[in-house]
Amino acid sequence: MPDSVISMDKVNKWFGALHALRDINFRVSAGEVVVVAGPSGSGKSTMCRTINRLETIDSGTIRVNGETLPAEGRELAKLRSEVAMVFQQFNLFSHLSILDNVTLGPIKVLRQSGAEACKEALGFLDRVGIGDQAHKFPAQLSGGQQQRAAIARALAMRPKAILFDEPTSALDPEMVNEVLEVMTQLAKEGMTMLVVTHEMGFARRVAHRVIFMDAGQIVEEAPPEAFFTNPKTDRARDFLSKILM
Amino acid sequence: MNELMGVISTLLRAFVTTLELTFLSAILSLVVGILAAAMRVSPVPPLRWAVSVYVRLVRNTPLTIVFFITVFGLPQVGVNFSFFSFALLALTLYTATFVAETVRAGIQAIPIGQIEAARSIGLTFTQVLAYVVLPQAVRSVVPPLASTFIALFKNSSIASAFGVAEAISVMTNMVNVHSTIVLSIMGATAAIYVALALLFGRAFTWLERKALIAR
Amino acid sequence: MTGADRHLFDAPGPKAIRRMIIGSIIAGVLAVVALAYALVQLTDKGQLAAAKWLPFVTNLDLIKFLLLGLGNTIGAAIVSLGLALVLGIALGVGRLSEAKVVHTPCAAVVELVRGLPVLLNMLFLFLAFPLAFHIDLPAFWTVVLALTLYNGAVIAEIVRAGVLTLPKGQREAAMAMGLSWRQTMALVLLPQAIRIMLPSLISQLVVLIKDSALGFIVGYQELAAQAQSAALLLNNPLQTYMIVGVVYILLNSLLSEASNYIGERQKRTLSKVYASARVAAVDER
Ligand SMILES: Nc1ncnc2c1ncn2[C@@H]1O[C@H](COP(=O)(O)OP(=O)(O)O)[C@@H](O)[C@H]1O
Ligand SMILES: [Mg+2]
Repeated sequence: MPDSVISMDKVNKWFGALHALRDINFRVSAGEVVVVAGPSGSGKSTMCRTINRLETIDSGTIRVNGETLPAEGRELAKLRSEVAMVFQQFNLFSHLSILDNVTLGPIKVLRQSGAEACKEALGFLDRVGIGDQAHKFPAQLSGGQQQRAAIARALAMRPKAILFDEPTSALDPEMVNEVLEVMTQLAKEGMTMLVVTHEMGFARRVAHRVIFMDAGQIVEEAPPEAFFTNPKTDRARDFLSKILM
Repeated sequence: MNELMGVISTLLRAFVTTLELTFLSAILSLVVGILAAAMRVSPVPPLRWAVSVYVRLVRNTPLTIVFFITVFGLPQVGVNFSFFSFALLALTLYTATFVAETVRAGIQAIPIGQIEAARSIGLTFTQVLAYVVLPQAVRSVVPPLASTFIALFKNSSIASAFGVAEAISVMTNMVNVHSTIVLSIMGATAAIYVALALLFGRAFTWLERKALIAR
Repeated sequence: MTGADRHLFDAPGPKAIRRMIIGSIIAGVLAVVALAYALVQLTDKGQLAAAKWLPFVTNLDLIKFLLLGLGNTIGAAIVSLGLALVLGIALGVGRLSEAKVVHTPCAAVVELVRGLPVLLNMLFLFLAFPLAFHIDLPAFWTVVLALTLYNGAVIAEIVRAGVLTLPKGQREAAMAMGLSWRQTMALVLLPQAIRIMLPSLISQLVVLIKDSALGFIVGYQELAAQAQSAALLLNNPLQTYMIVGVVYILLNSLLSEASNYIGERQKRTLSKVYASARVAAVDER
């Protein structure tokens, strides 16, 4: 299926005795927004991280743009540069200014010139609404601003897809929306996104598909309306009843 | 008074030797220590083991014994250096273990998220090291290294017992010659030590602020 | 894989694993070659001769002589630790005092002493004391007082850090009960700070044991001094100093383990706030 940007086939992963991912199969097509939901410890982060090989897998195949994920070296670095990642804890480089955070990848990986990278970076920072913060350091920004900067850093790599691992879970409640709005905008512009989140409102409005995980397995996969109004499994129903209270 | 002035100028010359010894061993222990730290975090197990054995052994040995082994032990196997070089060797062997531990701790204190973020934008291993790990490690390492080097400055005095004419050794000689101004001689020596230690402290604080400027 | 930094290195792929194995083999071979070379050199120079090593097993007088030194080393270290603790608490609390007349001199003494080599303190007592008081200070006290002074200053800083890292509520609660500053310090803050300090104090004992080896310079018969005499007599400096070195290493490793063990246990029993106090109090030598 050459159309899918990300695909996983029969992926298994163990942490010692813990079977963290069990026979995971799924695809994300170009322009698609897929939300991954599930209780804590169900393997959502692990699945997300295997796509960038921040975690290795024990069996199965992961493909990005039809290409099998390389095990190491420059090939791996190149593939990672094509799939950006936004972390729960933002992980902005603490020793660099916001602008330098955004330009580091374009300059060192994409080999853009400093001036070009800078100009584009300012554009991305404007897009996420923090153009005026470019010369500050991460610690001087609020959580919501930091996460938006992290999204700008991801965008600057001109990725084929962006992985979000609970991007709003570490934020104070009043900052959640500013980040979700940026993500919603990206989705509208056709960005391919895999989003681990507990924000069911976002899933309902923006996702094309919801994947529900439990105990390392994909238990249910459905369009958001169907998933929220008529979950097929008990586990999903149980989960939804808890989270939508 | 004249006697004391003469003594002080001799003392000051001896402090030049102290400083030479300190600076040279500081540079050497920095090099050895960083190499050792690199081996200590490398994915090659024998290198890690070798360094952790070295650090464990030397850190638990008194510097005096390290001096004894280098100055009196090495000539037994045909290694003959000047006293100054032996002192340099002993101080470096000892201080490098502290540098190695500090640098290793500095690297390991970097939150893993920083490194994962660097990897996930496609930086290669060397790039992650050059643009994220080292700049951050340098900052957390400056304050503890400052204490290590100030301790080295004071530790260099032990070389006085092993044939090096540094400040303490010259002070002891002069105390024997000028027996009427013993307290002044020792007081002057102490004052110079404290002044230099404070000066180094200041210099490192300045360096730390430079290293931290981006915050 | 404790030391291998998952931090620094990506999970290895097949090529990286091959490189690691090759690197390990090369490093292993180099180590063996170096060891073999050292052995050849030692044999060549007659350093492995039984006569140079056997006395440490067969000569009871020698063994007693060295054990006496070990006893003196430990004695001086423990007495110094006790005295340094008293001095350190006095200076540390003094430095925390709100009265300038108390606080300033204490700070000055601490900063001054920390800037001086221990050896200079020792020589001062050794050379200047007889001049000033017309009596020789016994070698034991020369060593102990010099170590006490230096380590008292270090412990003062540990005490200060310990008290400062206690949760603010402790002090406020005590003051609110109507306790005076002095009562708050003595009844509430210090006892807690000392408890946190325990692992640091044991590490400080390691520093003391190492520094006590300077005793040979002022004629105190501690382990290093005894080793020096023995090495001269037996004409085997390499062997003597290596064996004495091993004794120090065993003793200090034991103490370091104890310090770590207690530190770990405290980390589990005391709150995180407390544990951070130890970070501020690492030894520097
Ligand atoms: N590095 C690791 N080592 C061991 N176990 C891990 C590791 N990372 C995650 N796990 C375990 O794997 C399971 C899935 O974790 P995770 O993917 O983080 O779940 P989620 O993101 O859905 O909350 C959990 O039981 C977790 O404890
Ligand atoms: Mg998670």
